[in-house]
Amino acid sequence: MSDKPAFSVNVGGLKSRSKGTATARDVEKIDRAGDAHGFVDRSPKKKRGRPASPRTGQVHAKVLPEYSEEIAAEATRRGVTQGVLIEEAWQLYREKHGL
Amino acid sequence: MPVIVIASPKGGAGKSTTAVLLGTELAHAGADVTMLDCDPNGSVTLWSERAPLPPRIRVLSDVDEAGIIKTIRTHDTDGSVVIVDLEGVASRLVSRAISQADLVITPMRATTLDATIGVRALSLIGEEEEALGRDIRHAVVFTMTRAIRSKQHTGIEESLKEQGVDIIEPALMERAAFSALFEFGGDLRGMPAQGRMEGALQNASEFAQAVYARLSAEEAA
Repeated sequence: MSDKPAFSVNVGGLKSRSKGTATARDVEKIDRAGDAHGFVDRSPKKKRGRPASPRTGQVHAKVLPEYSEEIAAEATRRGVTQGVLIEEAWQLYREKHGL
Repeated sequence: MPVIVIASPKGGAGKSTTAVLLGTELAHAGADVTMLDCDPNGSVTLWSERAPLPPRIRVLSDVDEAGIIKTIRTHDTDGSVVIVDLEGVASRLVSRAISQADLVITPMRATTLDATIGVRALSLIGEEEEALGRDIRHAVVFTMTRAIRSKQHTGIEESLKEQGVDIIEPALMERAAFSALFEFGGDLRGMPAQGRMEGALQNASEFAQAVYARLSAEEAA
């Protein structure tokens, strides 16, 4: 088998040609043309819904009603979960007792 | 340099084989070739990992819908032919790639099913030409053809020609060497002999010349 090319490409002869602009509007036009022929968005979708919270550990704390009301009110005021307040309280407890 | 997009919404039409044959033959003839693998199956990437790439070829993998236009434009520069291998589905990735093409090649087996589904790519090109206000040259290449042409093949070809579709001659024949590219990697010249290698080389080279002639004609126009 001969390794000599049967033809040669004139590398300098073929130049990059303008394909027009590719603004968001142009891409929208392309997508519309594709949609009309069933060439639709098939890119993999992200998982739906809220990402899983890292706070999946559970504590089962029963407290007196006045404490539970105060804890709930404070969590609401700060826009955090009650678990965040328990974590902070536990951190203070560890510091106090040198844990 | 030209952007050649290999597109057909029909799976198994021979897109990746066409892309690899065209890329390796153009590189052998002296062109720098950048191949973009946009198929989630990664056929071109698998080919590229089988053996060291032939000189003047590079492969970029995992090009997705969001990045396709930017990636093509980044590599569409003087001095490199860009070949885009697409997935065999009707997707937005396909329509976006076509919008950046200098030449769209639709590989098609000579069956009614391939022709029916392949023609959807041709319709899309027409729509995009209108939307973008520029001509996008396109052509069909029959793949996996046999030495003795079937009546179905002749009928489909005549029908496409009547509709003004450009048919690339020669067709890419069913050849052991072509499918073995994905087993051995590299190009036809570097693999152990598979069937009648002279015939395979001639077929691939003449196909690449026919594509190159279309690109040169576009340039002259």
